[in-house]
Amino acid sequence: MVLDLTMSMAILALLGALATIAGCLEDLESDVGSQSNPNSQVQLAPQMGFLHRIFNKAISGEPISNGMSDVTGGTVTSVLLSAKFYPLTAIVIGAFVAAILYGIYATTSYAGRVASQTRFKQPLYMDIMRYTTPSIIGHNFIVNFCLVAIAYIQYAVLGYPFSIPFLALIWGISVGAIGSSVGDVHYGGEREFQNREFGCGLNTALSGRIVRKAESGLRNSIDNVWFCAKFGGPATGIGLGLTVFFSSWRTTIWGYTWEAMGVGVIILVIMIILNRLTEISVKNAYGPYKEDKEEKEAGSVAH
Amino acid sequence: MVLLDPTTLIDIGLIGLSGALICLAVHFIPVGGAPAAMAQATGIGTGTVELAAGSGLVGLITSSYMLHADPSASMALVMASGALGASVMLASTMLAGGFIYAYGVAVPFASAQVKKDPITGQRQDNYVSKGTQGQGIPTICFVSGVVGSGLGGAGGGLIYSVLMHYYSPLISATSAAAVAGVFTMGVFYVNSVIPSYGVGGTIEGVHDPKFRRVVPKDVFTSVVVSMLCGVVAILIAGGMTP
Repeated sequence: MVLDLTMSMAILALLGALATIAGCLEDLESDVGSQSNPNSQVQLAPQMGFLHRIFNKAISGEPISNGMSDVTGGTVTSVLLSAKFYPLTAIVIGAFVAAILYGIYATTSYAGRVASQTRFKQPLYMDIMRYTTPSIIGHNFIVNFCLVAIAYIQYAVLGYPFSIPFLALIWGISVGAIGSSVGDVHYGGEREFQNREFGCGLNTALSGRIVRKAESGLRNSIDNVWFCAKFGGPATGIGLGLTVFFSSWRTTIWGYTWEAMGVGVIILVIMIILNRLTEISVKNAYGPYKEDKEEKEAGSVAH
Repeated sequence: MVLLDPTTLIDIGLIGLSGALICLAVHFIPVGGAPAAMAQATGIGTGTVELAAGSGLVGLITSSYMLHADPSASMALVMASGALGASVMLASTMLAGGFIYAYGVAVPFASAQVKKDPITGQRQDNYVSKGTQGQGIPTICFVSGVVGSGLGGAGGGLIYSVLMHYYSPLISATSAAAVAGVFTMGVFYVNSVIPSYGVGGTIEGVHDPKFRRVVPKDVFTSVVVSMLCGVVAILIAGGMTP
């Protein structure tokens, strides 16, 4: 389909918005279900004698589990589209089927992981499973809906050469990679270890000693997602939103030319500079930790 | 024998080269694994395979769209498109991740592998907090990651381009794109896993001493394995009918 520039930009904005929502919700789903790298601490805690009421899912690495979920949604959507369903209905049903499948994996992996920790006396809380699983399914449904919608738009409107399931698979893997790299740091580095000293990294001696008390009562995964929704989730959304937007914006404006590639390089340079400015600001705020011996010696000689 | 045809041999060689680029890319990307997710190590808080494949596949989407929109596009332009798609993905991820380290977890960025950042010249060792192997994504890691993901994206674009030129005359364009896309994804995963053994799960980037130690062996392995993948890619074309 050939689109004019205004329409192309409108679709690009829609893709960026869908990606931002998908990125945000994917990270929050991995927080409420406790998946990926931070879950290693949830898994380790009972072995250190810290029993907890946090959901312990980790179906697999985030990219693979989300890829599985989204390719399922994309496949169901494709089947329904070929049966002449209205696209929005097909995407919603596809996303729902995938989310239910994901929920099944979440419950079996939670039960399986806790069962493997019997020797450490970690209980399997049925109320946690009842309250948390619908939240996991709900978050995953929104992620599936957004990513399958992106795949549908890219396939049907923009004319990408790949099929809907394959595009959904790729975006599922990418959203998982971004969620695992960005938002999970907020969950693993901050929320699980709010008892560490402020302004420094996590001492390895604290491994497994996760915070188990909430603002009121014992902490569970719903408390964790409430906290991570303030920063980790939106930051992940920005990560995926920027990826989707800047990977297409250049070619939408400048076409398939070397100019578009040059603009891409400029975007990368701007991002490097932004990271450097953040580094300077944060180094001034929290460091240095060790006294510089050379400076100390130089100072003592001068005196 | 179709495999001894010079054009086919060049295609297999190019797939081997692509594998080498992807393998090299993984070494450039600052991957901190699970410790980085808890601000215990420098780099991005996830695994090598997930990150390299995640960024490379975005490059595959951009390069495939470029080739689809302009079939006469030069191979260099397709590779550049893949490189920039992957680099933009990884740079966005590292930037957003950096914001979390800086303003969510509150740790200064510091490399544990070098005393001074080779790009900015800023001291690193005295910013490494007690009981950690560095934290966050300092400038050298960020630049190394951008360059590495670019190499991976270019490698993905090259494989896709080679396979599309090979499959397109044999089957319909949609089917050719599907087979070439899935095959490229497979080669990505193969070449992301091989370096994981070499780097042992974590590496800070081009400045890490591990880089020089493991790159030659890993790249050689990847070239051999990717060429085997290339032979399979050519052999499966034998059964293709329009």
